Amino acid sequence: MSLAADPSTRPSRRRRLPTGVRAKLFAYALVAPVVLLIIGLVAYPFFFAIYVSFTDQVVGSVGKFIGFANFVYLSKSATFTAAIWNTVIIVLVSDGLKLLIGLGLALLVHQAIPGRGIFRSFLMLPWAMPAFVAFLTWRVLYQPIGGGINLVLTGTGIYPHVVDWLGQRQTAMGSVIAASVWRGFPFWFISILAALQSVPKDLYEAAHIDGANAWKRFWVVTVPGIRQVVIVTTLLSSIWTANGFEHVWLLTAGGPSDATMVFPVLAYFGMQTQRVGEAAAVSVAMLPILAILVIFATSLMMRDED
Amino acid sequence: MATLTATIPLAKSKAGQRLRRRFLIGRVLSYAALAIAVLLVLFPIYWMIITSLKLPREIYRVPSLWPKTFTLDNYSKLLSDGQFLIAIRNSLIVSFTVTIISVIISSFAAYSMVRFRYRFRGFVGRLILFAYLTPGSLLFIPLSIIMAQLRLGNSLFGLIMVYLTFSLPLSTWLLQGYFKGVPREVEEQGLIDGLSRIGVLFRIVLPLSAPGIAAVAIFTFTGAWNELLLALVLITSESQRTAPLALNYLITSDVLPWGPLMAGAVISSLPLMILYFVAQRFMVAGLADGSVKG
Repeated sequence: MSLAADPSTRPSRRRRLPTGVRAKLFAYALVAPVVLLIIGLVAYPFFFAIYVSFTDQVVGSVGKFIGFANFVYLSKSATFTAAIWNTVIIVLVSDGLKLLIGLGLALLVHQAIPGRGIFRSFLMLPWAMPAFVAFLTWRVLYQPIGGGINLVLTGTGIYPHVVDWLGQRQTAMGSVIAASVWRGFPFWFISILAALQSVPKDLYEAAHIDGANAWKRFWVVTVPGIRQVVIVTTLLSSIWTANGFEHVWLLTAGGPSDATMVFPVLAYFGMQTQRVGEAAAVSVAMLPILAILVIFATSLMMRDED
Repeated sequence: MATLTATIPLAKSKAGQRLRRRFLIGRVLSYAALAIAVLLVLFPIYWMIITSLKLPREIYRVPSLWPKTFTLDNYSKLLSDGQFLIAIRNSLIVSFTVTIISVIISSFAAYSMVRFRYRFRGFVGRLILFAYLTPGSLLFIPLSIIMAQLRLGNSLFGLIMVYLTFSLPLSTWLLQGYFKGVPREVEEQGLIDGLSRIGVLFRIVLPLSAPGIAAVAIFTFTGAWNELLLALVLITSESQRTAPLALNYLITSDVLPWGPLMAGAVISSLPLMILYFVAQRFMVAGLADGSVKG
């Protein structure tokens, strides 16, 4: 309205078009439903989970406050220790591999080669597949009977013996990681590819003219150009992998004998056996590490915004 | 790479020939690496489809890479009692409802945060981002208790409510990015032409952001379609199961029905695979803008 009165006003960052109380009320009314739902469905449950982790609540009872007893109990539990270690290993190894594979393939597809569009489409496929479908399929692939991996390995003579990939301790973790890399690398691939495409071409040409070889150009131009995206992707992917449930649940359900147990699956088992307080404590115990990752990611993503 | 290609036709000298040879070797290696990657990506998908078309004999007794007989037995076995179709229907109801609710109220919120300045704007932005990153593995426990207290456990309505926990932050976050791309001048012109503020939102901002809204809708739909953990703790009766839940309970039974299981996998992934292939351009742009859960 003020603009109609003074059309010469240059729109600046500080001056938004509608001013006054009505505009403010309108803005609050628009944002209110999402804010209220998030407070009710995310913020309240979040603090409720922390509260419950300090009680001995079981399903159908209120439970009483027992201090740190759940955490003390967990710290003595071998399964919980295994879950922590396995979660750390899965995050480090599978996200490391996703970074390497995603970056490598993005660099290959980023070249001006014929057919790159087709390669890109194919490489995105695992991401388009629902996670539960992907991990159920891998479960079948790993089977000693009816599984494609054993069939190919014995058929081609690469490895002559049938392996129960998910059923033995030595191979279970590697198998879970391989499946989760298969399903997860396209996210990295697409993010890094988009970042590569946003690096200005003349930077490469300038470096070329300055006599930088391909290796040098990679470190001087490519790496700084994609660093921010790689950092944010690393943080997000680590948070999602650490909290991932499907990949372990559908492949091994944490077995054999806790070899692939991770904390979301352990928390789910706690819920299945109705010990709500303990189950909540499993998740809450992971909170400090996750909080660090989340705060890092949030501040980076907010900085991108401005 | 562009500069390299440009120099090649000119290269006649010895150094040029060396450059050309290195270029060709690079090409061959690139294609080889990409071909291997595509093969590894496609093999599991191939195995899923082919297993769903095999007779039990070729799955268990004499496993084959390429089946001698193709059959739709697994599909009819899976669909015969009607339970899986009910699960697909439930999944469709839940995913569509979640998508519609979150796209509508998230676009209100995103528009408010992009176009207006007010005291709690920064706080709301942070709240949404924190909610987006708050792990479902922590929330599923309190949410199942709260839904039971509200007597919404074991119902599709309850499931829709809890799915808003991840769909609202995601769609608000992404839509903010798209709305920023709408030039303010266009909105000002609308106001001058006598549109109300809500009119500007519906007649100008939303139509101009249509590709972004389509992308957000697909991501939200996918998120709801794929969700397993919350459904596992919330839904107890067979009639309320969603597709992932129905398949999950297929493998917890004693016999392992790989054929019907893979038939269910094919059916549940088909809609999404088609959607992604058609809308790939939106998806890639959307992903680059907002970092969408993979």
